[in-house]
Amino acid sequence: MNLTQELELFPDHTVTQMLFKEVKNAAELRQSAVDGRINGALINPTMLVNPFQVLVAANKAVHLQLIGKMKTRSLNSEIIFNLSPTNNISEAFKRFGTSDGDESVMLVVVHCKNESQLLEDIAAQVDGRQVPVEDVSWLSDLAKIRKLFKVAPQEETCGTLLDAVVCRMAIKDVM
Amino acid sequence: MTPDHLVALLCPPLHNPRRRRGGNMAPEKSATVPQFLRGAELVKQGAEARVYRTQFLGRPTIVKERFSKRYRHVALDEKLTRRRTVQEVRSILRCRRAGIPAPAVYFVDYTSHCIFLEEILRSSTVRDHIASTQQSASCTVQELDRDQDRELVQEQELEQLAQQVGQILAKMHDEDVIHGDLTTSNMLLRRSPEDRGSDLVLIDFGLSYISALPEDKGVDLYVLEKAFLSTHPHTEALFQKLLKSYSASSKKSSAVLKKLDEVRLRGRKRSMVG
Ligand SMILES: Nc1ncnc2c1ncn2[C@@H]1O[C@H](COP(=O)(O)OP(=O)(O)OP(=O)(O)O)[C@@H](O)[C@H]1O
Ligand SMILES: [Mg+2]
Repeated sequence: MNLTQELELFPDHTVTQMLFKEVKNAAELRQSAVDGRINGALINPTMLVNPFQVLVAANKAVHLQLIGKMKTRSLNSEIIFNLSPTNNISEAFKRFGTSDGDESVMLVVVHCKNESQLLEDIAAQVDGRQVPVEDVSWLSDLAKIRKLFKVAPQEETCGTLLDAVVCRMAIKDVM
Repeated sequence: MTPDHLVALLCPPLHNPRRRRGGNMAPEKSATVPQFLRGAELVKQGAEARVYRTQFLGRPTIVKERFSKRYRHVALDEKLTRRRTVQEVRSILRCRRAGIPAPAVYFVDYTSHCIFLEEILRSSTVRDHIASTQQSASCTVQELDRDQDRELVQEQELEQLAQQVGQILAKMHDEDVIHGDLTTSNMLLRRSPEDRGSDLVLIDFGLSYISALPEDKGVDLYVLEKAFLSTHPHTEALFQKLLKSYSASSKKSSAVLKKLDEVRLRGRKRSMVG
């Protein structure tokens, strides 16, 4: 059910995504992440079109960490920040991070290869039902995503909504 | 070994950012991407950029790596190279917003001047397409009626392509994007999955900029005309079709075509003077 992808540019970094529904302890999870007891990013899956979005954000976060140019304080918060189309950090957290009452959570962990125990330990902290990561497309709030990313219908005639979102994420620093 | 390879060897990737020498120096030039590219397939080695094909985040991806020109001043060079990279990704987004196909951008590394782009699959450059169509047409010239029919079909197909190019450039100019390097190598023809027609994708926006001036658009078309006619012999009529379709599709075409005429004249005068 997990979705794991090695970052080709950074071979000792692997990204694993886990999707949970019917989550009962979102507030507690968020606190654990803030306190550093969960070494992962907690993401609001309704703002995701596709898991590829998370990979683009994670790859950029690792890159910026290695060159010492992150805009936020940790790799996990940088992943959340990178998902947003704007450079406003608190807005990024509000929209793309998990909020206290959320019933679904995408848990993203950047780790070394073969760290299955670590992943199990993190997943065990979620009080919810794990579903395949691909199911995220059932949760996407497309209207909200189109509005936030300012995607007009004509753009979707020459590419997918995912392309539109990923382009804005990739180049927001120079817009 | 190229200088870039040397750099990659001398500066191994830094896995721990805290281990950087001297705390607040300028950000490190990351060698990770150049090192990664050594394992990628080189598609094109140009004068200012190398283009690679690879997998990135599990997807077929094209990486365009701009490199320094040795004879330029280092700091100036860095600035120019960065500017091209920025211009390229900005114009791509501007085009896509307007519904003009251009490859999606996945990642940009401003330290090594690399852009990671969606690979346009099932595509060939317009240049290759025209060349191969012309070639197969000329092979059949002395054969039977059936082949003459085929020749006719190919001619019509090229005219349709020229019309498509005219339309897409009109749309681009109406968005005030000046491409800056219009050639038939910088347009890809993408076949649709079930072989129902094909669409055009614009690439290579490194010299692009934003301008509403008819003069700039006229020069853009002039550059294309020069490149088109010298790359593809006997295509004067075809290029006229392209311009006709441009003027039918663009709201502001008459001022642009007037400028094109002026620029042509200037070009001719210049070449007469020597
Ligand atoms: N996104 C893409 N998908 C498929 N093929 C591509 C893509 N981008 C580039 N190519 C191929 O690579 C070739 C070179 O790319 P591009 O025109 O961007 O570089 P270039 O001409 O070397 O750049 P410059 O003119 O800035 O030096 C193209 O003609 C095309 O064949
Ligand atoms: Mg080119």
